[in-house]
Amino acid sequence: MEILVCVKNVPDTGEEEIELDGNDLDYDELTYVVNEWDNYAVEEAIQIADKVGGNVTVITVGNEDADEVLRREMAMGAGNAIHLEDEAFEKSDAKGVATILKAAVDKGKYDLILTGAQADAGYGAVGGMLAAMLDYPYASLVNKIEVGSGKLTVGREIEGGNTEMNEIELPCVLSIQTGINEPRYVGIKGIKQVSGVDIPKFAASDLGLDESSVGEEGAIVKRQDYFIPEAGEGAEMLEGSDDEIIAKLIEILKANGGL
Amino acid sequence: MAQIISEKRDVEFVLHEQLEVGDFSKFEKFSAFNKKTIDMIIKEARKLAVDEIYPTVKEGDEVGCTFEGNGVVKIPESFVRVYNLLKDGEWTAMTEDPEWGGQGMPKSVALAASEYFNGANFPLMMYPGLTHGCGKLIESFGTEEQKAVYLKKVYTGEWCGTMLLTEPGAGSDVGALETVAIPQGDGTYKIKGQKIFISGGEQTQLSDNIIHPVLARIEGAPAGTKGISLFLVPKYRVNKDGSLGEFNDVTCTGIEHKMGIHGNCTCTLSLGEKDNCIGTLLGEENKGMAHMFLMMNEARQLVGLQGFACASASYLNAVNYAKERVQGADLTNPKAGGVAIINHPDVRRQLLIMKSYVEAMRSILYYLAMCYDKAETAENEDEKAMWEGLAEILTPIGKGYVTDKAFEVCSHGMQVYGGYGFIEEYPQAQLLRDCRITMIYEGTNGIQAMDLLGRKLGMKKGKLFMDLSAQIAKTIGEAKKVDGVADLAGKVETVLNKLGEVAMHLGKTAMSEKVKTAFAFAHPFMEATGDVCAAWMLLWRATIAQQNLGKKKKEDIFYNGLIKSAQYFINSVLPVTMGKMQAILDNDSATVEIDEASFVS
Repeated sequence: MEILVCVKNVPDTGEEEIELDGNDLDYDELTYVVNEWDNYAVEEAIQIADKVGGNVTVITVGNEDADEVLRREMAMGAGNAIHLEDEAFEKSDAKGVATILKAAVDKGKYDLILTGAQADAGYGAVGGMLAAMLDYPYASLVNKIEVGSGKLTVGREIEGGNTEMNEIELPCVLSIQTGINEPRYVGIKGIKQVSGVDIPKFAASDLGLDESSVGEEGAIVKRQDYFIPEAGEGAEMLEGSDDEIIAKLIEILKANGGL
Repeated sequence: MAQIISEKRDVEFVLHEQLEVGDFSKFEKFSAFNKKTIDMIIKEARKLAVDEIYPTVKEGDEVGCTFEGNGVVKIPESFVRVYNLLKDGEWTAMTEDPEWGGQGMPKSVALAASEYFNGANFPLMMYPGLTHGCGKLIESFGTEEQKAVYLKKVYTGEWCGTMLLTEPGAGSDVGALETVAIPQGDGTYKIKGQKIFISGGEQTQLSDNIIHPVLARIEGAPAGTKGISLFLVPKYRVNKDGSLGEFNDVTCTGIEHKMGIHGNCTCTLSLGEKDNCIGTLLGEENKGMAHMFLMMNEARQLVGLQGFACASASYLNAVNYAKERVQGADLTNPKAGGVAIINHPDVRRQLLIMKSYVEAMRSILYYLAMCYDKAETAENEDEKAMWEGLAEILTPIGKGYVTDKAFEVCSHGMQVYGGYGFIEEYPQAQLLRDCRITMIYEGTNGIQAMDLLGRKLGMKKGKLFMDLSAQIAKTIGEAKKVDGVADLAGKVETVLNKLGEVAMHLGKTAMSEKVKTAFAFAHPFMEATGDVCAAWMLLWRATIAQQNLGKKKKEDIFYNGLIKSAQYFINSVLPVTMGKMQAILDNDSATVEIDEASFVS
C-alpha cells in the first residue's frame, strides 16, 4: 500500500512562553516540533506498511525549517519525503494548503492519505478539503484502522467518547486522532541514516499551481485576532500538598453546595 | 508549562555558540554529526527525557528497590520500559565504535543527551551508565574472545554491567582488598570474596545477564595496589553459542538503605560462596588498578554530570516556583499586597547564585568532554597530548568541584521553596538527597582534591596546569577586546594570576616537610581552581553574549542573562576566592597541629 502522510512543523508551545505579534504568534521567537497528531498518523502508516507491505511518504508544506520535521519522521520509519516550499505558499489558509497538497498528490499514486486531525492553527479542515478536492472518501477523527481488501474499516471517535466503525473504500483520506497508537521514539541510528538524504522540493511552478490560488492572496479565511484568554475572575489556585489541596477542595465544594 | 530538567537554550548555546561542536563533522570520524543532525539528536533525547524518563523519578524514589531474599532484588517496575526505550533508541553507547554497537558520536554532543537523561532520573540512568563503563573496560582490555562474547551485548544494553571494587575493608584504600583469584590452569580463575556498594549489582528485570568487572588479587600476588588484577565475572556463564549457561555463583546477600538514589539498588555481592565462581582475566596480571584508572576519569566525569544534572533541575524548579509563589509585599511598595517571591532581593540572590553555577558547571563539563573530541581529531601528537592533559587536570574539577557546588545549588533550590522544599511531595528534597552521593562515590571529593594537588598539578612538570592557564588567558584576551565585558576580564585575570602563585606555593609546600599542611589545603585549592574555571566559562559566555545583543528580543533576554551571571560571579564570588587563596598562601597549619584528642576533649 502506498501511503502519504501530511505533516506540519508547528511551534513548540508546550514549555515555552509564547509571544504575540499583532494578530498572530511571534514565530521568530519559537522553536518547532512535528505536529503531535501528524506523528500519530506517521506511526499508523508505518504500522500498516509493516503489516501489509508498501511505502510511507511524508509530505509537508513549509519553509526551509520544515525540512527537520520531514527528516524526523523519516528517522521514525517513513521511507520517502516531499517538501513543498515556495514563498507563495506562505500564509495559506486551509483551502490553500489543501490545494497545494492536492497538486502534489496528483503527481504520485497513493492508496491512502493520512493527515493529523488538527494542527496549531486553522480549524482542522485540511484533511476534509483535500479529500473533497481529490473526490476521495474521507473520515475524520479516526482512532482505529483495520486493513481489508481494497477497503478499510475505520473507527471514529464520536461524542461522549463513543466509537463508530465505518467501512471506507480506497483510495481515501483519513484524519487521525491522537491515541490511535503509541508513536515510537526516534533513535540515533535513524537520525544518522536520514541526515544526508536528499529530499525532493517542489515549488508552485513545479506543481502547476497558479500562485494567486494559494498563500495570502488565495486565502478566503483570514485571521482577525490571536490572543491568550485572560484568566477569568473567581479562579483560585489551591496551594499546598496533595492532601491539603484535596481537603481545601472538599471544603469549597461543601461550602458551595457541591457535596 | 515551564521548562524542566535543563534550559534548552543554554544547552544549545554551549554546544553551538561556545564550543561549536558542529565543526567536528569536518573530520571523517564524526562526519555524520553536522549541526542539523546534532540538533535532531538532542531534541529527541530531550523528548525522551521529559516524556518518559522524568515521570519515573518519583516512583523510583518512593518505591525504591527491595531485597526479596534468596539473592533476588527488585527494582522499580517503571524503570523497565524506560530502559528498553533507551536500548531501542541506541542511547546506551552513544560515543562508542559502531562495530561494537556504538553510535560514534562526539563526546561533547553525547553529553547533552546525557544531561537531559540524568536530569530526568539519574538513579535510573546509573543502570545504563555502569553498563557502559563495563563495556569500556572490555573494549579497552578484553581479548578478542572476551569482546566477541560480551561487548556488543553490553554496549547495546542487552546485558547489564557493573563495577566491583569496594569491600568492607577496602573503600578509598582499594589496595586493602581481600577478594582472591585462584588460577585453574585453563586460563580461568576461581573468584572468592565479598564486594559491597555495588550499584545495579543484581536485578532480573532489565537484563538476563549481568557482567561484573571485579578487582581481585591473584593468589600469591604482591600486597597493596600492585597485586591487584581485573577479572570479568558474569552472573551467568556464557555458552559457546552465546546462550546463557550455568549460574556463576555471584549472589546478592542484601541491599543498602540509603539517603538517596533509591531507584538504584546498591548491593552486597558474595562471589564464590559455593566455590563455583569463575572469572577470566581482563587485561594484564597485577595491572588491575592501572586499567581501572584509565576508566576512572570517565566514571568521575559521569558522576560530575549526575550532580550537575540535579543542580540544573533544582534551579529550573526554583525559578518556576519563585515566579508563581506569592508571599510578602514588595520592599518598596508594601501596601500593594503580595508579590511573587522572585521579586524579593534575597530570593533573586539565590536564584542568581544557582544560575551562575549551573551555567558555569554546564560549560566546564561540556568543555571537558570536548577535550576528548579535540584529542581524537588533533592534527599532531603535541596537540593530542595537550587536550588529553586538559581532560586530566579538569577531571577533579568536573567531579569534585562540580558536585560540591551542585549540592550547594540543590540546597538553595530547597531554600527558595521555603517549607515546601523540605516536603517530599515537591521535587527539591529528592534532588538534594540524590545529589549528595555524588560528592562521595567514585572517589570522595577529598580524593579528588588530592588527585588535583598530588597527581595532576605536577604532571609533566606542571604543563597541564600551564596549558589550562593558557586556555583561560586566551578567553581573557578576547574578552578584553569587547566593550561591556572588558572590566570583568581584568578581574578574572587578577584571580588567574593569583591562582598561578597559589599553585606554585602549594606545589613547593607539598614537596617540603610541610606536606601534610599542603594536603590540608588540597580541597580549598580545588575549590579555588574550580572558581577560576567557573569564572573563565562565565566570562567566555558573556563575551559571546555581548557580541550578539540587539538582534532578537527573546535572544537579548537570554544573552543579558548570561552577562548578569558572569557579572554576579566575577564581582561577588571571586573576591571570596581571592580570600580563600590568601588563606592557602598563609599556610596556617592548625589542621595538622591540632592534637587528635583536642577535637573532643
